[in-house]
Amino acid sequence: MSTTAKRIAGLILAALLVVGIVAAVIWGTRPGQGTPGETPAAEDLTVVTGVIGSEKKPFFEDPEVKAIFAENGLDVQITTAGSRQIATSVDLTGVDFVFPSSAPAAEKIKRETGASTVYAPFYSPMAIATFTPIVELLAAAGIASQDAAGTWHLDVAAYLDAVQAGTRWNQLPGAEALYNSSRSVLISSTDIRQSNSAAMYLSIASYVANGDTIVSSPAAQAAVIDEVSSLFLQQGFSASSSEAPFEDYLSQGIGSKPMVMIYEAQFLGRQMSAEGANAITDDMLLIYPDPTALSKHTVVPLTDAGKTVGELLTTDPRLAKLAAQYGFRPADASVFAAQLTDHGLAVPPSPVNVVEPPSYESLESMIAEISAQYETPASGTDGDSP
Amino acid sequence: MRRILAVALVAAVALGVAGCDPLSEFDPAPTGLPNDEFTLRVLAGSEVKDMVPILEDAAAEIGVKVAFEYVGTLEGTELVASGAADGLYDATWFPNNRYLSLLPGATSATSTSVKIMSSPVVLGLRDDVAADLGWTTTSPTWAEIAQAAADGRFTYGMTNPAASNSGFSALVAVATALSGTGSALTDADIDAVTPGLTDFFSAQKLTAGSSGFLADKFAADPGAVDGIINYESVLMSLDQPLTIVTPSDGVVTSDYPLTLLSSADASKKPLFEKLTDWLTSTDVQQRIVAETSRRPGVPGVDTGTTFPDAILFETPFPNTLDVANTLISTYLDTVRSPAQTLFVLDTSGSMEGDRLAALQQALKNLAGADESTAGGFAAFRTRERVTLLPFDITPDAPIVIDIPDDDKTAALKRIRDTADNLVADEGTAIYDALTRAYILALDQQQDRPDTFVSIVLMTDGENTDGSTAEQFNRFFDNLGSDASTIPTFVVLFGDGDVEALSSIASLTGGKVFDALNGDLAGAFQEIRGYQ
Repeated sequence: MSTTAKRIAGLILAALLVVGIVAAVIWGTRPGQGTPGETPAAEDLTVVTGVIGSEKKPFFEDPEVKAIFAENGLDVQITTAGSRQIATSVDLTGVDFVFPSSAPAAEKIKRETGASTVYAPFYSPMAIATFTPIVELLAAAGIASQDAAGTWHLDVAAYLDAVQAGTRWNQLPGAEALYNSSRSVLISSTDIRQSNSAAMYLSIASYVANGDTIVSSPAAQAAVIDEVSSLFLQQGFSASSSEAPFEDYLSQGIGSKPMVMIYEAQFLGRQMSAEGANAITDDMLLIYPDPTALSKHTVVPLTDAGKTVGELLTTDPRLAKLAAQYGFRPADASVFAAQLTDHGLAVPPSPVNVVEPPSYESLESMIAEISAQYETPASGTDGDSP
Repeated sequence: MRRILAVALVAAVALGVAGCDPLSEFDPAPTGLPNDEFTLRVLAGSEVKDMVPILEDAAAEIGVKVAFEYVGTLEGTELVASGAADGLYDATWFPNNRYLSLLPGATSATSTSVKIMSSPVVLGLRDDVAADLGWTTTSPTWAEIAQAAADGRFTYGMTNPAASNSGFSALVAVATALSGTGSALTDADIDAVTPGLTDFFSAQKLTAGSSGFLADKFAADPGAVDGIINYESVLMSLDQPLTIVTPSDGVVTSDYPLTLLSSADASKKPLFEKLTDWLTSTDVQQRIVAETSRRPGVPGVDTGTTFPDAILFETPFPNTLDVANTLISTYLDTVRSPAQTLFVLDTSGSMEGDRLAALQQALKNLAGADESTAGGFAAFRTRERVTLLPFDITPDAPIVIDIPDDDKTAALKRIRDTADNLVADEGTAIYDALTRAYILALDQQQDRPDTFVSIVLMTDGENTDGSTAEQFNRFFDNLGSDASTIPTFVVLFGDGDVEALSSIASLTGGKVFDALNGDLAGAFQEIRGYQ
């Protein structure tokens, strides 16, 4: 047989297949519009670099915010990282400031870097994004209630009891008409192993499970760990960034995410944004865990330039107003209220029943113990691992 | 009636990225994707092939081009997590990133991701069957569906969960629902739900390695099964109307995250951002809904009456790799109908040397030599019957190996030894060997009716001896309907006759797999998803 001829045929075929791939490439009829970026900045601006929690990225990219920094001679360049990563794994060489969304993470960085001061220009309470039918069910079951001012609250102790009891949505009175799901009553959160908003949720839940006391000892941790672990493990897969579950809530709706633990700013910021507001439909609402915890966005300056950023954020009223437009609560509550009122939104009251997070070490210790349960291998199954 | 998709050739171009290919004589480029300042190289599930027309407009409107290479979700995610995709691709676009996120290394391998669209995995049934079961008016639970399956009230097709995301999604949804815990599946639940799963899968009479192939098989022969499990979008796009049954206790929805790889060059990030901004704009989202029947990936897009109003309850997804893999293994080893697999193997003179070595290695990989996760899933399973039929100018005596349901060590060793003893000489009588294979396959089907019987034909050359293609076609047509459920998956290798082999795949309802780049083991592994 003519092997050579066949080999040539084979090569031609191979070449044709490559052409096939190339043909599958989607060619444009016009060339691209050139490389982006390259916005010319005033030459004399001092470049200041910061590592921040991703939820503040839109704020720092806002042209008005950039203009105010530029007025003060600064060009603030940011990269984003999870607040807990900032405290542990991110290389801070050459970084002028960090801006995590949690006070414990900031405290740890301050201690380790020897920063002399920190700035906490704005904060956001933890809140639960949910839907009217869900709130009706929770209210009928005595888990949620509305205060005189109209704000809804979730009774965390009653909620934990419901989760402990393995309560399903369709076991709640009225579920058949409102939310006939056999899934467990459970708040969705981010991945506790990676994300600060889940750690804030853990702060709240562990406080309540520990008899309204901050968990600060191994004994207390041992007493509550099973109860709080199940809040995360039962969820199954959860995303690592705080945007993901909230986006699922907005786009996939009540069937996917009946309740999501978020920063209040995510919801309010969306309501006040020009392009995003229509994502919030009439049946969506925020309810506040009682107690709640505050995500205190805290600047830890690592250089003098970083210090200037922290000072401006704390003292420039225009920056406070812009932060409020993104749903954050600046120190001056009237700035926050004015922004909401301007957008025709009700002003949620300042949270009264607020839990302080555990120390950085206590919180990390609980997270480590929960994380270990994700890795627990099978017991009593016969799956063959190759 | 039966046809092979022209695109299958392009889509099946094997991934030579593993770089362990022993055949250097063809020296394939590791990836054929062009790499320039306007192009994003995307490793994608074949599911997103239907986005090509929309992406062509992206190229025209915003100057971002997309070059796809298609791969099964599980195999692709393993490539990404292991770092083997670094430098070859800039981004991934799988139906979801959940399995990926369970793999060690995945978090650092991927950067930003943006969900573009979504579609739940549901059951599509012929209207009369659905009506008879009362499912046109009331959505059943998975347990009710499993009961109806056990009672023989309907049959269906589904993709292999080890190879394809839609099958895996359905497996997760049914197992989680049967566990009755209302929460994510755990290892401890899997044993408890195995009997229920066995009921459910007793009605599965059609399998496939990809959701597209499954839909094509069903479209080609709608009488073979009463329905298929697939993405809602695929079911809505079929020519024949099906009743879409959305189980009331939960489905797993794919959310198609376009994901930038951490290893991508910095110049690709603006392309990625431009493209995702464009894809998530309201106009394009509405096009995606209209043209692909997928639900929007971002809020605020008016979909009118395209989708039913009913709440789509989402099933929680397992949060450990161990649960996911144990579930897949349980499906393969215990729950599914076993396979009977015949390998018709060219051992003619032209196979001598590297080619024979590649064949031996490919077989041995399936018999336990490949220790990767995807390789492990592709391995011969307990309860499977493997028949090796080497041929040259005549078919050799078939070697039939039954893999017991307890310890498969000895059976796998016998397959590896048989592979080692293959000798290449003489001519190539393809059709005589294939004829022999069909006679054997029909016997085996009769012997064990509740199995998936299929044939793999691997040859590196043209037919030189024995009967002709025409003679084989006549023989096959005379076999009647029993043979029509036995597809032949052909492997293009060496100097294989593309036209003749494609005809065989087309005639028998099989598919062509390309190993012209020398990656025979990759092609064999991919075929396992279809058996």
